[in-house]
Amino acid sequence: MNFFNKADNDSQKSLITDKVLEKIKSGRIKMRPKAHFVLKTVLAALGFILIILFVLYLISFIVFTLRMSGIWFAPGFGFYGIKIFLFSLPWLLILTAIILIIILEILVKYFSFAYRRPILYSILGIIALVFLGSFVIGQIKIHPYLFKKSQEKHLPVAGKFYRDFGAGKFRNTHRGIVSETTDNGFLIETRHNEILKIIITSETRFPFGKDIKENDSIMILGERDNCTVRAFGVRKVDDNLNNFPRKNHGQKNPKK
Amino acid sequence: MPKPLDKLTDEEIAKIVQSGKVEPFGVLVERYEAKITRYARKFLFNCNDAEDIVQEVFLKAYVNIQSFDTSRKFSSWLYRIAHNEFINAIKKKGKEPLPFFNPDILFPHPVSEENADKEINEKELRQMLDKCLNKLNLKYREPLALYYFEKLSYKEIADILRVPISTVGIRLQRGRQKMKLLFQKLNYHL
Repeated sequence: MNFFNKADNDSQKSLITDKVLEKIKSGRIKMRPKAHFVLKTVLAALGFILIILFVLYLISFIVFTLRMSGIWFAPGFGFYGIKIFLFSLPWLLILTAIILIIILEILVKYFSFAYRRPILYSILGIIALVFLGSFVIGQIKIHPYLFKKSQEKHLPVAGKFYRDFGAGKFRNTHRGIVSETTDNGFLIETRHNEILKIIITSETRFPFGKDIKENDSIMILGERDNCTVRAFGVRKVDDNLNNFPRKNHGQKNPKK
Repeated sequence: MPKPLDKLTDEEIAKIVQSGKVEPFGVLVERYEAKITRYARKFLFNCNDAEDIVQEVFLKAYVNIQSFDTSRKFSSWLYRIAHNEFINAIKKKGKEPLPFFNPDILFPHPVSEENADKEINEKELRQMLDKCLNKLNLKYREPLALYYFEKLSYKEIADILRVPISTVGIRLQRGRQKMKLLFQKLNYHL
């Protein structure tokens, strides 16, 4: 007779109980202390909170870098702008954020409020939470502050991170402040203290109006050739991210 | 005067065990060994070391009893441990493939009403299950066993398997359909 056939039998029942109790009483099996589980829960909660905070920081940082470089505004210029936007995204940071969101989803699935519902709901909930939190972090202007500190070399750990990602240069997207208007365009001064000559043609797009004057913060879409950019599109940007000390203020002629 | 152990609820006994007493744990083992054994029999068919696995379930329960929240249901907690042990046993044996990811937990399902199958004769269904449960995929076998033999609710099954409640409904529904097809295909008679 195998085990299953006699499973409902009383003698078998007491046999299992006896074996279990015997192993416990012999000291071979020990109950884990409550502190073990409390510590585990605290560490898991701490890990969860740290990951959430890091994801919030990362996503708000990605948005900040995109706004700083002007790429954030590129989709407003149609298909060409969308193409440039997709090619210029910081995919490494985005991939890291996605992996962290997946880890959050795995962690949240330990809770009954999450696993009792389809995964789609918890994923959407996490994404909504992360984007809302990132928006709030974006509003408190922490990144412009840290970026400024990094440029002044007052940010020891994250300084390089901000300088590498925050002030990235792109071939097709340019941000700066109009320093002078010319017959066929204007000159802009960039955050990297370069003067770029922007050429406006009949094909240049102005999706948000042509009213551009000196000291305006603008974003230009167009391929750069040395210090000249033939503008595919131009738009004014009022987000206060482009306030930087202008070393070349007053310089008229850019390098050819 | 304290109530005798057999008059206490599982959760009350678990609380006493948490305080360091061993003997009351024997009462919990006695209460659940037939159920866990039946669950093992339905889940791990043809497994010769099932007795050891059932024992291991109770030993794991004892080791981790401090993690049990006595405001919750002891049975769901114990079945969850059993489920994990059984899955580990299947993995070790490598006889059955375990899916890495089940797409049915991703989206909400409209068919999730509990007792939606009441029109089907439950006795007949159980007889069918007795004959061909072991031929069904693990994904359907487990919820069917828990629902029809262990008499657990959708919510309890969802807690044991850690899947959405609507997924329990859809797996039961699909499991029943597959079982009926299998029953006809194998030319079984009640």
